[in-house]
Amino acid sequence: MSAITATRLSKSFGTVPAVDDLSFTVEPGTVTAFLGPNGAGKTTTLRMLLGLVTPTSGAALIGGRPYRDLADPVCEVGAVLEAAAFHPGLTARTHLEILRTAAGLAADRVGHVLDQVDLTGAAGRRAGGFSLGMRQRLALATALLGDPAVLILDEPANGLDPAGAHWLRGFLRAYALQGRTVLVSTHVLTEIQQIADHVIIISEGRMVFTGPLASGSDLEELYLEATR
Amino acid sequence: MKRLVHAELIRARASRTVRVLAALAPVTCVLWAGLGVALMGLEGGMPAEDRVRNVYAMAQQAYVFTLLLGILGTAGEFRHQTITWRFLLTPDRGRVVNAKLAAYGIAGLAVGAVSALATVAAGALLLHLGGHPVMAPGVPGVLLGAVLSVTGYGLLGVGLGALIRNQTAAVAVALIWFMYADYLLTMLLPGLGRWLPTGAARALAGVSMENAELLPAWAGGPLFAAYVLAAVLAARLITLRRDIT
Repeated sequence: MSAITATRLSKSFGTVPAVDDLSFTVEPGTVTAFLGPNGAGKTTTLRMLLGLVTPTSGAALIGGRPYRDLADPVCEVGAVLEAAAFHPGLTARTHLEILRTAAGLAADRVGHVLDQVDLTGAAGRRAGGFSLGMRQRLALATALLGDPAVLILDEPANGLDPAGAHWLRGFLRAYALQGRTVLVSTHVLTEIQQIADHVIIISEGRMVFTGPLASGSDLEELYLEATR
Repeated sequence: MKRLVHAELIRARASRTVRVLAALAPVTCVLWAGLGVALMGLEGGMPAEDRVRNVYAMAQQAYVFTLLLGILGTAGEFRHQTITWRFLLTPDRGRVVNAKLAAYGIAGLAVGAVSALATVAAGALLLHLGGHPVMAPGVPGVLLGAVLSVTGYGLLGVGLGALIRNQTAAVAVALIWFMYADYLLTMLLPGLGRWLPTGAARALAGVSMENAELLPAWAGGPLFAAYVLAAVLAARLITLRRDIT
């Protein structure tokens, strides 16, 4: 079964169509790049997959079920959304501890995910003083709390320094190699080309390309051709 | 649900704003009680027993702080967009609000109880120093009513914060409504006062209200609870369903 299935997914804000009759699947064990120009509907699509935005029509399923019907969502799906937000007065550790408690996860998960994203040293600092890159790391740590089988990431490399971006690529690659699913939206084609197995390109809310990314092919050329 | 309530309490305890508001509540009550004692000689017509009861009823003045705590607990999550994490973890949004009601009910009860104790301590001492009787019949009932109404405002804050979502707007609406508008309406339409949230809370707390014949305390509680329920239901039907973008 596909890890993620979108079927004839549509969303309009008022009379403005943001996503228009979009269907795709994402398979386990792959890194799938979700690409498109600004305003193409990527973020809206990801938020529909996560039950945050209600589709006007169509269905978005994770492991065959709508997100809202998942029994234990954080253990099945981890999400990093654009401009991931934290209460500025709470420390990174407290932020994670609140969500760990709400999810009923083991106490050692907080320390574990902080280690995973290399944020242990800053765990006691208030998130209000974090750089964009540190906020991205904390968002990723939050997504990893439940050790999920599916990761959905919106611009996760935004604000990461070159070493951080390099680390993130290796991390996502390894995640997919464990048989898990990674769906990542990004504008940084040269970086995603190094790790993506599959590509979905949308433009103006519609699918313009979907297919495997053959090694040696030029993703930028493919993207520019598809979105022209 | 227990996990969600526990998580809310961790969040509340960790926040500096929450700690400051919780600490200001008993201080404010003590100041009001002091003012009540100082003005005792000036209120001519009122029987002494009523005046003593009114000093202890100042425990109800903690309401504005629990109201703010409730609003910040819900609207604050929308303001900082942390509500996204909460809804990802618990897609049933009604459950998130229910957990907040439980948590801020507990927090409100704690703030109300501490405020009542502070009011009793300061009120008794000041009454004694002022040469007034320290006790009057009905004081325990007044204190219990004050604690319940202070708790109730915390719940109302959660409902309003979920309904209005914009934290600044929610705080402004709540303060204008409960500090001014209800009193103004009562002045203009005396018969209406007892049915307004402020009238219901004051009835529950055993505090008198100018120009208004209040309901009995046992009726004030359920009426106030109905306002809380109305705010939460409206939030569930209107704002909680909206897209989180």
